[in-house]
Amino acid sequence: TQISSIFRDAQRTTAGHRKLVINLRKIQEACCYEPTSKKNKTGAEEFDEDQFTHELTRCVLRVMPVKKSESVGERSIRFIGLFLRHANEKDNELLPENEEDDGVMVETPSTRLTSYVMNTILPLLTSKEKFVRYRSTQLIAHVINSLEAIDDDLFQLLRHGLLKRIHDKEAMVRVQAVLGLGRLAGNEADGEAQDSDDDDSASGLLERLLDVLQNDPSADVRRSLLVNLPILPNTLPFLLERARDQDPATRRALYSRLLPALGDFRHLSLSMREKLLRWGLRDRDENVRKAAGKLFRERWIEDCAGTAENEEGETVEAAAGEVKPPSFEGLLELLERIDVVNSGVENGVALEAMKGFWEGRPDYRDAVTFDDNFWDTLTAEAVFMARSFNDFCRNEGNGKFEALVEEKLPEVTKLAFYLQRYITVLVEALKRVAQQEIGEDEEEEDTVEQEFIVEQLLHIARTLDYSDEAGRRKMFALLRQSLSVPDLPEEVTKLTVEVLRGICSPDAAGEREFCSIVLEAVADVHDTVMDEPASEDADESFHSARSEVSGDGTPTKSSKNSQRTEEEDQEKAIREIMVNMKCLHIVQCMLENVEGNLQQNVDLVAMLNNLVVPAVRSHEAPVRERGLLCLGLCSLLDKSLAEENLTLFMHFFTKGHSALQITALQILTDILNTHGAHLLDTNPTLLKVYLKALKSGGKAPEVQAAATVAIAKLMLGRVIADSSTAIDDLLKTLVVLYFDPSSAHNQGVRQTLSYFLPVFSFSRKENQDRMRKVACDALHKLFEVQETLDDDGDAETEMVSITTIGAHLIDWTDPRKCYGSGIQLTGGDEAASKKAVNGDVHLEFARDLLEKLGSGINREEKKLLAPMLAKLHISPASTPALLKEVYNEVSIAIDDKLIADATGRN
Amino acid sequence: PASATKPRKEKEPFEIDFMSPLNATLAESIYTPASSNTVISLPKKDWKSKTRNLLPDDKHFNSKQLLRLFLKPKARMGSRKIGFG
Repeated sequence: TQISSIFRDAQRTTAGHRKLVINLRKIQEACCYEPTSKKNKTGAEEFDEDQFTHELTRCVLRVMPVKKSESVGERSIRFIGLFLRHANEKDNELLPENEEDDGVMVETPSTRLTSYVMNTILPLLTSKEKFVRYRSTQLIAHVINSLEAIDDDLFQLLRHGLLKRIHDKEAMVRVQAVLGLGRLAGNEADGEAQDSDDDDSASGLLERLLDVLQNDPSADVRRSLLVNLPILPNTLPFLLERARDQDPATRRALYSRLLPALGDFRHLSLSMREKLLRWGLRDRDENVRKAAGKLFRERWIEDCAGTAENEEGETVEAAAGEVKPPSFEGLLELLERIDVVNSGVENGVALEAMKGFWEGRPDYRDAVTFDDNFWDTLTAEAVFMARSFNDFCRNEGNGKFEALVEEKLPEVTKLAFYLQRYITVLVEALKRVAQQEIGEDEEEEDTVEQEFIVEQLLHIARTLDYSDEAGRRKMFALLRQSLSVPDLPEEVTKLTVEVLRGICSPDAAGEREFCSIVLEAVADVHDTVMDEPASEDADESFHSARSEVSGDGTPTKSSKNSQRTEEEDQEKAIREIMVNMKCLHIVQCMLENVEGNLQQNVDLVAMLNNLVVPAVRSHEAPVRERGLLCLGLCSLLDKSLAEENLTLFMHFFTKGHSALQITALQILTDILNTHGAHLLDTNPTLLKVYLKALKSGGKAPEVQAAATVAIAKLMLGRVIADSSTAIDDLLKTLVVLYFDPSSAHNQGVRQTLSYFLPVFSFSRKENQDRMRKVACDALHKLFEVQETLDDDGDAETEMVSITTIGAHLIDWTDPRKCYGSGIQLTGGDEAASKKAVNGDVHLEFARDLLEKLGSGINREEKKLLAPMLAKLHISPASTPALLKEVYNEVSIAIDDKLIADATGRN
Repeated sequence: PASATKPRKEKEPFEIDFMSPLNATLAESIYTPASSNTVISLPKKDWKSKTRNLLPDDKHFNSKQLLRLFLKPKARMGSRKIGFG
């Protein structure tokens, strides 16, 4: 009939849907209403409403078994939805006006039709066939979303039906179910107050959907919900949480769809903005990073730029899609909104955000200016804008932006002038704070910003060109002078030292100049504070008066005298510690930038003996620990010093708290890296330190993580050479550690190893063979781990199956994946060259496995090992003798019924 | 009206044949309900995910870190060799 031919056409393309809907409507009208005019006969007048309903429903049913992959199904369903909507609207138009306001739904032919179709489809929701469930869920979801009003009883039925499907076995069905329910949850949440008595009320629905959002195993389902759930105060946290979803596409959907649709980002909390930015810009997936970068430089900036403009009373709203002209007030506000004082520090996310911003916004790049007024009135945001611009121009684009920075930023002399001014401001602010009683935090905030400004200026200073002698001298004098200010904050000190190093020439003479100038400053710091007791008499009364006020008991007169000297002694001791700490810190910063030989620099030798060595012997823990670090740094510059102190560093590892243990480990590792690993072989206890550190996961996971990184460095850097006796032990321990459930919560360990193990194996043939050598032992060990786990019945800690572990080991030892296995030499035909790879590694692996199978291991373990044989890659290009040998061994093994024949040969 | 399903060629795009009435097999596949709810549902144990399907915090371990000393992050390892003495 005509109806089915309309459906036939509708499935082909959505383009003609409008017309087809109108045609179908005409048929419906002809069937259901008395003919009003004889002119436009459709030929359907001889049929009645029942017949129409029946025929249409028949067509709808035909759509139900259509597979998901067929687009005709999708189009048909959209057509049905469109028609039902059109028909309902038309019926409502025909209703007399006055009845419409009742709020009661009037029955019309179309509502009857809708109910009939829906009631027919409802039972199909629980069909045995997954595609029937899929299409029926899709249709109901679609109808719910396209109709303005649905009969209440029917609505409840549909809702209930869909709700059951959110836990369907098939992800595609669940996707449709949540699509249908997503909007309902929003509507119902609006009217929640009115009918909260419902058995599974609106909040119930929302709750269940949020539950699905968090827990559904299928990323498609989670993603559909993410973009379809209403954005409400109570759903937002759940939605934003998806920024860390396991699925990259879902994370990207959050950044590219949800967040831009969210409206003004300033409604988000400060910490949330920072997190979203950090997670997005540092995502593992490049597309997520791109989406986050785009969000920042195209959406968030517009939110700020928009208001900035409005306040000026100029253009109200730029047309949608039109890029607004650069607004630097907007940019400054944006930086403020991401709390640049905190997010703009080193390793903060603001620098990455701004790098992407300058990159993606050439309009801002060209329009930005830094005039005198700008430098005179620096704020944290402004200085960060300049600093990030400077970084961008110098580091990106292969120097093509260098000209831009020359043009826009001031020369050295001028910058030194501004730096001096802001350092003075900072130092004065610090003094005021020091003199103030505690409790007035307004001033304290002030120094945070001043500190930040100075830091950023130093960052700029670090990149400048000091070939201009006048500018160089000015900057040099300024930095030398600032460095001897004892109150200078640590980060500022660190940067100052770094800039100083940059100003001195990079050769040995420059390094000597650098050391002597820094050590001069250290001496100054030492003197200024140590001189103070001379002037102390003057304000002694001030001191004692204050301590009386702050002391909680009223001291008796007799004890006052002795107490005062006691307090003075204490104060003096504290001051000494402070001075020592400060000096050591400067020295530490200096040593980080020194590379020459220690013994050849008299200044350094003097410093070592007069400052560092006494510090290591100090009774004050903080001084001692910082002294240790400096001694470690010195040891990097002098091999004999390193050897002499190796035991000392190990001692600190054994006795220290975990932070100190990490420091000790790092010192030892750096020493090995610098002076060679023979120290490891000549000091067996040193190896024990590493092994012990690797096993410290239970008590100190940070130490374990630090040790993992340390060993990864040593092994990849081939510092622990192939000849080293320690290497097998270490590698085996690392493999076991990777799969051991005890490290599951130590992400530092896990992520380091997931990087290290494959890189190590694939980078060198020798490494791969080493991996092969330890594989069987590691497997055995892990098998034992699993058994004890089973015995304990500990369900909390999950472990990957031995089969999976075996697959990993096979993969890591796959000769085809190893770099330098001949692939790059032959080039061209990769497939052919892969075949020609020498496969001895896997043959050896096979031999190891066979040997293991032949030994006295238990049956369970054999069952797990045997299938691994079949997965090894046996290359025809292997050593013939070895090939033959392994073949013989396999034959013997089969003859002995050691293993089932399933492990075939090729 | 018997089976009027047109013989379709393999490569032809799939189309729903709305003209023909429902045949028995099709009707069966449409109308047969699942034997029980559990057959078509996700097992309860999969309703909850321990991790909430979230990633752990990234440690951003990379090759750059491997090439740096712990104590002197600015100096590249091995740079001493080409330095001076």
